[in-house]
Amino acid sequence: MKKKITSRRRGVGWAALSAVALALGGVAWSGFGVGQSPAPPQRTGSSGVFTPAHASVGEAIRHFFGLREPASQPIAFSHQVHVEEVGLGCDFCHDGASVGPAAGLPGIETCMLCHSGVGLDLPEVQVLLRHRDEGIEPGWERVYGWPEESHVRFNHRPHYIRGVGCASCHGDVSRMGAAERAVEHTMAFCVDCHEQEQASNECTACHY
Amino acid sequence: MDRRRFFKVTAATGAGATLAGCGNPENQLIRFIPDERLTPGLSEWKPGICPLCDAGCGLIVRVMPGDAEVIREGQAGIVRKSLAKKLEGNPEHPVSQGRLCVRGQAAIQVTYHPDRLTQPLRRVGARGSGQFEAVSWDDALGELLDQLDALRTDGQEDRLTLLTRKTGGQRGRLVADFLARFGGPAPVVFEVFGDDVLRRANDASFGFRQLPTLDLARSMHVLSFGADFLGTWNSPVAQNVAYGDMRQGRPGRRGRLVQVETRMSQTGANADEWVPIRPGTEGALALGLAHVIMESGARESGDAGRAGRLIEGWSEGLPAHTPEETERLTGIGRDRVRRLALEFAENGPSVAVVAGGPLAQTNGFPTALAVNALNALVGSVGRPGGLVFTPAPPAAPAAVRGEAMAAMAARILEGGDSPVRVLLVDDTNPVFGAPPAWRVAEALEGVPFIVSFGPFLDETSVLADLILPDHSFLESWVDHIPESGTTSAVASVAAPAMRPLHDTRSMPDVLLEIGRNLARPLAPAFPWTTFEDMLRSVFEVLPETGEGWDVWGASRERGGWWRDEALRAPLGTNPSGSAVGMPDAVFDGDPADYPFYFLPYASQAFLDGSLAHLPWLQELPDVLSTAMWSSWVEINPRTADRLGIADGDLVEITSAHGSIPAPAVVYPGIAPDVIAMPVGQGHETFTRYASGRGSNPLAILAPATEPETGVLAWASTRVRLTRLGGEGSLILFAGSLREHEEHGR
Amino acid sequence: MRQDDNQTGATPAYKWGMAVDLDRCTGCEACVVACRAENNVPTAGAEAAARSRAIHWIRVERYWDGEFPDVRVRYRPVFCQQCDSAPCEPVCPTYASYHTEEGLNAQVYNRCIGTRYCANACPYNVRFFNFDNPVWEKPLDLQLNPDVSIREVGVMEKCTFCIQRINEAKIDAGAMGTRIEDGALQPACAQSCTANALVFGDLNDPESAVSRLSRSPRGEKLLSDLGTAPSVTYLGRED
Repeated sequence: MKKKITSRRRGVGWAALSAVALALGGVAWSGFGVGQSPAPPQRTGSSGVFTPAHASVGEAIRHFFGLREPASQPIAFSHQVHVEEVGLGCDFCHDGASVGPAAGLPGIETCMLCHSGVGLDLPEVQVLLRHRDEGIEPGWERVYGWPEESHVRFNHRPHYIRGVGCASCHGDVSRMGAAERAVEHTMAFCVDCHEQEQASNECTACHY
Repeated sequence: MDRRRFFKVTAATGAGATLAGCGNPENQLIRFIPDERLTPGLSEWKPGICPLCDAGCGLIVRVMPGDAEVIREGQAGIVRKSLAKKLEGNPEHPVSQGRLCVRGQAAIQVTYHPDRLTQPLRRVGARGSGQFEAVSWDDALGELLDQLDALRTDGQEDRLTLLTRKTGGQRGRLVADFLARFGGPAPVVFEVFGDDVLRRANDASFGFRQLPTLDLARSMHVLSFGADFLGTWNSPVAQNVAYGDMRQGRPGRRGRLVQVETRMSQTGANADEWVPIRPGTEGALALGLAHVIMESGARESGDAGRAGRLIEGWSEGLPAHTPEETERLTGIGRDRVRRLALEFAENGPSVAVVAGGPLAQTNGFPTALAVNALNALVGSVGRPGGLVFTPAPPAAPAAVRGEAMAAMAARILEGGDSPVRVLLVDDTNPVFGAPPAWRVAEALEGVPFIVSFGPFLDETSVLADLILPDHSFLESWVDHIPESGTTSAVASVAAPAMRPLHDTRSMPDVLLEIGRNLARPLAPAFPWTTFEDMLRSVFEVLPETGEGWDVWGASRERGGWWRDEALRAPLGTNPSGSAVGMPDAVFDGDPADYPFYFLPYASQAFLDGSLAHLPWLQELPDVLSTAMWSSWVEINPRTADRLGIADGDLVEITSAHGSIPAPAVVYPGIAPDVIAMPVGQGHETFTRYASGRGSNPLAILAPATEPETGVLAWASTRVRLTRLGGEGSLILFAGSLREHEEHGR
Repeated sequence: MRQDDNQTGATPAYKWGMAVDLDRCTGCEACVVACRAENNVPTAGAEAAARSRAIHWIRVERYWDGEFPDVRVRYRPVFCQQCDSAPCEPVCPTYASYHTEEGLNAQVYNRCIGTRYCANACPYNVRFFNFDNPVWEKPLDLQLNPDVSIREVGVMEKCTFCIQRINEAKIDAGAMGTRIEDGALQPACAQSCTANALVFGDLNDPESAVSRLSRSPRGEKLLSDLGTAPSVTYLGRED
């Protein structure tokens, strides 16, 4: 396929370029890494820039009030099956929680540890295998997290070390199919526990 | 749910792998299965080597998982990749010692630059029009092979030429060997601020054709002739580390810095004593100081050994270079000359260093010899606190240099059949950096086939017929052997810190592949498939240094192989040349028409202009002027007053060879008859950040050369100034601050 | 098991401070770019920079003295002084600028409503406002540090002594039940400083490098007569 590339002989001012990009109305905030991004990444339009600007007024309002649609998952995953029946611990799939800030959502390679051989007759597993064959992740949607504007930098590791059980903040996931937002992570929720456990209530313990 | 039905699969336009104009607004982009097993939020630190200057500082690279936009089989999506996030100095590396300079910190932007070339390109428009089409690697390499095979068929192997900036290390050896085995000449090296004059002088004076290493940490007195050793010259990080220790690293002992220069440099600002000097007379000052030292009886002429015997009149104590005569030549008072000399001789260990403007004169070589002799006189060569020469590690390739850029251009311009049929350009930019009188752009027009490996379009690579973009340094196996900056023997090596972002290929690997696929194979053939193989074969046979028997494994882990060595004394006693006099520097331009000396200097942000594409460096406030995103010219306050020029006014600088505009900066640290201008801006083609910004002082330089070495004497041009109307778009950071200059606070 | 993470109320275990040895500083500005690389400081571009909107959490000032030929220059790196009596704190209507128990002047981005009074009050001019939403032309955004917030339009920002590194070091030390070792925790500027002029550490530890340097007879505080009580000591040049 032939493509044309024309070099810029007269430099376009950098700010002019970004002004043009913004004017397209399509600039979007996008999660720049699973590490600390709280909400599912969204992209719109044709921008070649990354910016915290919202894609629309609606998005800004939703972020401000913390409104979120319930997550919809590509595959009808059941925590109950995997936790209660199979007996997997939370950190089998969410292995980041003990060692770093983000618990993480499992990549398909984790699923394949079992499902390359187990449950091959199940329709959901077949969907999973098709993804694997196409080189595409299932695309799980995050259930917990905060909008970037709250500037919350939650870190699982010190909580894990302190012995805070996963269910304390995520509810009893072992009864759920796909994870549901069983616990509202308001600031009060966090601060109450911090006060009780005599953990730091400095703003900068979490907001920095 | 079949995610793919949610997207229109659009063919990518423009630059390859980055996402521009794709994606369905309502849905998440698809996420591809990653190639690597990564835990979010966790960092790893991997070794690296900074490529931006020739110091070769060892790095550690912070690498973390992140989401990169990619296109796979025509489908846009994201994939989690290991991404470099931050560069730091490698604490174990003998050159960087855990530190990293301003430019090294910005180097990460090379990898993530939005204007990086992402795939091979073939020219479709007129040469220089910047019109290219994307081609596959197979097609691109096929085309290059055709060209090289044709050279061989015609028996014209010697018409393959490679143009490069650096020739060191195993990469340099591979490139040189490739050319030699093909039958082509040695690489042509083009560097704007090369240090060949100093290397030649060090070879003559001491037997080391090499840049010096300054043992500042143990020095008590440093006398610098124009050397910006804390800024842009030689091995800045190592020199800064040592300087800090020279000042405050030894309780009760504080070394002193005297800087002799025409313009207050970033280094000169740190001096205990700043000595302005008439341009081109630094050599005369060095001899004047030597005269005083010998006359005082503090030293004898014979103490300078071989280095002294290279100077006419040395053994008689340089009778012509009295303090009075030195004052007449240099403008520095005779009493000051005496004091500077005696302090240098008596407050040892002392060391003198010369670089930059003083060597870029028509008398550059004798100047360097004079300073070398001064060092030898006080016994600073090969001794602690003085100047030493970095030992070479085993398996260091011998330096190979071809003809000079100017000579190559001249030969092509002679007309007739071009002596260069296929030119390979390895990331150097002579169209920007060479004086117009060399007519490099015109010469390149006469080359039938040009291939560029550079990762960006610049004034030179835009002339290419075929572009085979190299990986960035973080995506590639890299190696480096430092010429200076350490007393250890060092061979740095680093594996790729991350996988390539784009469809680029490592240039040494491309050469190896070309070598394998020529119609008539190279003889002897290279035994390695990849550059990594070559590096392994070199490193695994290096001597153990206490890290265990797996030398290759240990080297990969810590960023290289290094070994402490004893300081080497200068070689031999018989000089390798006849004694030279100290001629006056010759300047281009009649002083009546061109009243000012013109000093272009390597800028803190961009060095020779090769870093102007990095936005962090454009936004860096120059430390002495605070200018950002700008060109400027420095004018003495009295001169500015006399000419009616204020800060920011647009002026025109005219030499006998051209004219450029620039805004003025009223600059206290420069003589009334000198004007200075940083090099780096004035690119016509060099990414969105540098293109069309500012002016290039190199464009008005006279093609004068230093006679001994043939190197461009870039500080020997005279100019005049004209005030143009209006403002010159000077952007200062200091101008935005409320506070005024404080005195004594 | 309750770990002592040194963040409990009463006496703070750490008090962060810095020393700047001006006799070592060479004006190389490695600190300037190291900081912006670590802290996701946005690049303003030429037009915004011309409107005084460039952001440099740390800058190197230069003071010219004298007239040619007797000219001197002195460098001075300036960044948030984390003042114990910070003028920026009482003026913030939303408590976005407040003093932590470890002696830092914290900037809490989600509280900031952009009155810019703090920048107005700061005598060191080290506070910077985001007049625009920052923009990174892709793929420059891949370099962004996930441990540091991206500040949106309308929010003030400044040097934090690399609080993300401080918090990480405290978690590590807490996990091992030890104190943070002197010299192990460094903000980006001090880590890169080529002449070792910038030193960071715990002023509550009298043997730490920063404490010892702060006691130097060469030591002074910037604008000390204003009563801001900075946590940074500058050691003067000895010439």
